[in-house]
Amino acid sequence: MSEQQGRWRKPASLPLVAEGRPDAGTCITRRTFLHKSLLYGAAGAASYGLFPLLNTIDLAFAQTGQAFRFAWVSDTHLYPRDVNTRFVEKAVRAFQEVQAMDPPADFLIFGGDLAQLGDPVELQLGAELLKEVKIRKVFIPGEHDWYLDMGATWNKMFGASPWTFDHKGVRFIGLDTISRAPDFWTPRKMSAKERMGHMATLDGTLGGAWAAVGEEQLRWLDGTLARWPKDRPVVVFTHNPLYEYYPPWNFWVRDWLPVQEILKPFANVTNIHGHTHQVLYNEIGSMRSIGMLATSWPWPYGPEGVPALTRPMVRADPGDHFDGVGWGELSVSAAARVDNEYRMWRKTVYAAAPEDSGTDDNRNQVLSPRIADRI
Amino acid sequence: MTNPRRRYPLIAVAVVALASVGAGARWAVAHKEPHTAEQLAAFQEVFMEQVRTGDALFHGDAETEKKLGVKLSATGMACAMCHPYTSDTHPHEFPKFQEQMNEFATLRDMINWCIEKPNEGEKIDPDGPAMKALEAYIYWSNRHSKLDPGRH
Ligand code: HEC
Ligand SMILES: [Fe+2]
Ligand SMILES: [Fe+2]
Repeated sequence: MSEQQGRWRKPASLPLVAEGRPDAGTCITRRTFLHKSLLYGAAGAASYGLFPLLNTIDLAFAQTGQAFRFAWVSDTHLYPRDVNTRFVEKAVRAFQEVQAMDPPADFLIFGGDLAQLGDPVELQLGAELLKEVKIRKVFIPGEHDWYLDMGATWNKMFGASPWTFDHKGVRFIGLDTISRAPDFWTPRKMSAKERMGHMATLDGTLGGAWAAVGEEQLRWLDGTLARWPKDRPVVVFTHNPLYEYYPPWNFWVRDWLPVQEILKPFANVTNIHGHTHQVLYNEIGSMRSIGMLATSWPWPYGPEGVPALTRPMVRADPGDHFDGVGWGELSVSAAARVDNEYRMWRKTVYAAAPEDSGTDDNRNQVLSPRIADRI
Repeated sequence: MTNPRRRYPLIAVAVVALASVGAGARWAVAHKEPHTAEQLAAFQEVFMEQVRTGDALFHGDAETEKKLGVKLSATGMACAMCHPYTSDTHPHEFPKFQEQMNEFATLRDMINWCIEKPNEGEKIDPDGPAMKALEAYIYWSNRHSKLDPGRH
């Protein structure tokens, strides 16, 4: 760990999960059941020490709630067609499958990293492919969409963040977690392309701890939720996870603690995020967090900090670019239970044995951060 | 992506200095003499230069590819996009039976496999400078990993 990376780590850096939880591996099939008391049944949950976790809200909400579904697609990382078409193919497939959902989804949330290098050609291509989806579409940006022109094209084409809307009794919120990188480019007299190149390198070092919600947006979030009943469901869409997983790759937001402070009074919060390109699940207080697949390529799990509640996905086959990727079909039950089904295109989502697991096969792997681009 | 700093002149000087130390020594076999701090620093510099070159290749630096006459990818994707910090390249597990190739394989074999398959690039000389640099970077990044040859 470099000095800077060391400084990012806070005492609270470990996933905040209660002791004595069951192995996350006891989840079934491709579903991430977010309401564990229902998955295990009350007795099972009690014996696994799962209480108290969100077990009283359902009834209160059930009187007003309506079941519905929505879809998440993110991290398409489109290049111009003349560079490669494999990411185009996979984005098209995801969008066609979203459109074909039956019964249809109420809306599509696109979770960022539509483009690879923020090129207007790439963003335009994305907008064109998105025409496949005729239902309502909402957008949050990823770092790959942003740092060529600091979000100018993105905001023009897909609208600015943050935003909020209420749908069938759920408050949905979209945050921008990517636009607050410390300015490393001006002192180095970098071109826009060079800046974008550094920001597009997951294990690059110049971007530093760029993922953040920021003071202004924290105030906005606080205000937005001020009059929302504490027992009503809230779903927060972010590009980066709203907890600390692995800061060197910005698998977090650096101000996740103040975000948690704002969300803490709400009994039923679900965070859905992209950026990590892998199966992830965590719980912090009353917030559940789900990491979604990319359509483009899977990232390996971070060397440390994978939440104990995550049941790791299977190791990807490097010879098949449809493996380890896909999108997510989410549903909200009448009891305000958010449920995700990974739409992964090859293999089963979860590993059955340690040798096939994206984390457990790396027992003897100890990685060191780069030195080459520390200038 | 940045260019690795150009240290070749520095290295050339270091190597010349080493050569002259060797020539002046009483013993032809260098290891009979205790190493000086300068010598060790020069050895380390030679190694780290390879690590930096390998890092640049691994991160898709076009200039370094051109200099070494290799084309590691035709998809726009660099190794680091799937292997941040060289994650999942598992140098400590080789040699091993490699399922993808249905063969007992070395790290170099697998580097070439990833160049050819996911990257659709051009296989490189298994003993050439680009391979050595990639290997240096991958090993350096995994220098704290525990040897575990044969593990799937
Ligand atoms: C599109 C993603 C992708 C790209 C690009 C890619 N790889 Fe891989 N590579 C993988 C995956 C996935 C594996 C399998 C990892 C596992 O088995 O856990 C792999 C495996 C490997 C392995 C063998 C690890 C093992 O234990 O079997 C090596 C070595 C390797 N890659 C090196 C490279 C190099 C060098 C490059 C660049 C020239 C590269 N890869 C580019 C996805 C990629
Ligand atoms: Fe991404
Ligand atoms: Fe991202």
